Amino acid sequence: MIGRTGLATALALLVCAPAALLVAAPAAAQFPNFDSMVKGAESLKKGADSMRTIGEPEEVQIGAQLAATLLGAAPLVPDPALQAYVNKVGFWLAIQSERPALQWKFGVIASNDVNAFATPGGYVLITKGLYDRLRNESELAGVLAHEISHVVRKHQLKALQSALGTAAMQDIAGAAGSMSGNSALSSASQVIKGGKDLFLRGLDKEDEYEADRMGAVIAARGGYSPYGLVGVLQTLSASPTDGAFALLFKTHPTPVSRLERLGAAMGSQLDTLPNAADDTPGFVTLRNPPPPPAPVASVKAAPKVHAKKR
Amino acid sequence: MIHGWAYRFAAALMLLWGAAAQAAESGVLIRADVLRDKPFIDAGTVDKLAANAAVTIAARQGGWMQVDAGGKSGWVRTLNVRLAGGGTVGGSSGVLAAASVFRTGSSGTQVTTGVKGLGESDLRAAEPNAAQLAMLNAQGVTPADASDQASRNGLKPNQVAYLKPGKKK
Repeated sequence: MIGRTGLATALALLVCAPAALLVAAPAAAQFPNFDSMVKGAESLKKGADSMRTIGEPEEVQIGAQLAATLLGAAPLVPDPALQAYVNKVGFWLAIQSERPALQWKFGVIASNDVNAFATPGGYVLITKGLYDRLRNESELAGVLAHEISHVVRKHQLKALQSALGTAAMQDIAGAAGSMSGNSALSSASQVIKGGKDLFLRGLDKEDEYEADRMGAVIAARGGYSPYGLVGVLQTLSASPTDGAFALLFKTHPTPVSRLERLGAAMGSQLDTLPNAADDTPGFVTLRNPPPPPAPVASVKAAPKVHAKKR
Repeated sequence: MIHGWAYRFAAALMLLWGAAAQAAESGVLIRADVLRDKPFIDAGTVDKLAANAAVTIAARQGGWMQVDAGGKSGWVRTLNVRLAGGGTVGGSSGVLAAASVFRTGSSGTQVTTGVKGLGESDLRAAEPNAAQLAMLNAQGVTPADASDQASRNGLKPNQVAYLKPGKKK
């Protein structure tokens, strides 16, 4: 809605500007200050534009388009139990944040690459490649809480805003909101291109460090050990920088520098939290590959080996 | 073939018993630390470890790692350990290797289907998928669902203030 108003204003400005110029030329003699008045009004308008914030419905629209784009590259893992579990862990953490009322959506996406993404409005996607490398639920919590922090602080939204301009984003979000399905999505190509650029360029390093500090705390608020995120960063620090890790390494500060920053911020002040959990039975049950009841599996599998040998 | 299958089977077992696979993790101390007999700051001293001391990680608990160092077992602070990376050492690479072998194995799991890379070219070429977005939205849960799972899993919220940036070194 606000986006439409923005569009209307922009159109009005386009239509009026030439008229104003036509009028301004002959009027300049009579009103010597008219020219600067027009300029003044324009810069006021510009100033107001950069001050305007993107409303929450528009933020969600933009985030949905970018999540749909990521899903176009790697779809959801077809495992409803896993997806429900990750959504519950994620929303539990989001409740501990400053934006508990967003309609948070979490998804595990079918890619062997190691990465996680947040898009504005409460969309968080984590690759199966990363999920499979987590040791326990507190590490999952660390990753999800890091991404939640980006949404809470609107890191991606602000980065898009400065790349594309506020008015453009409002218009695009508004246009998409008034349509449905594929037409809405395709109408937003400008935001989608901006989003892709952002996914490939990454956020400010300071935004990443901040999301690490906030993520550890949000996980701790949810009853987890705040050291889950430390464990994930340790895994990354011992991983190759190419292949499945290439994009993550390209778009983030090095894991070692993240560990140094996070460690310096944490010190030992979060070491005495009561009941801080490293893991829960839920994570163990849904570990990949989805384990059949363990004793049965080994009993069943063992004769197969012999059968093959003979 | 048989050998390959057996290897994949072993890899699958390693994954199932993740703790066993993680036991192979190793690292070095990035600063001198005390090897303690319990994961607490005021626990007894088993030994004093110098920076760059090699450790083998047996377990993790909160901010602590149970390690073997020079034949002695005890606990050091997680933040004082840097994992050994790549190549032959390091449990994480072992787990990764096992994971990829299993995933591409002929034993076949549903994970092998539709798995894609998510590199620069994949993202550049990506088209928004409205059906997938609808699925993502549909699989969302309510805060009540989330709280219910957390409480069943014994999670107890804590009040924790955000951290200030640490001092740069």
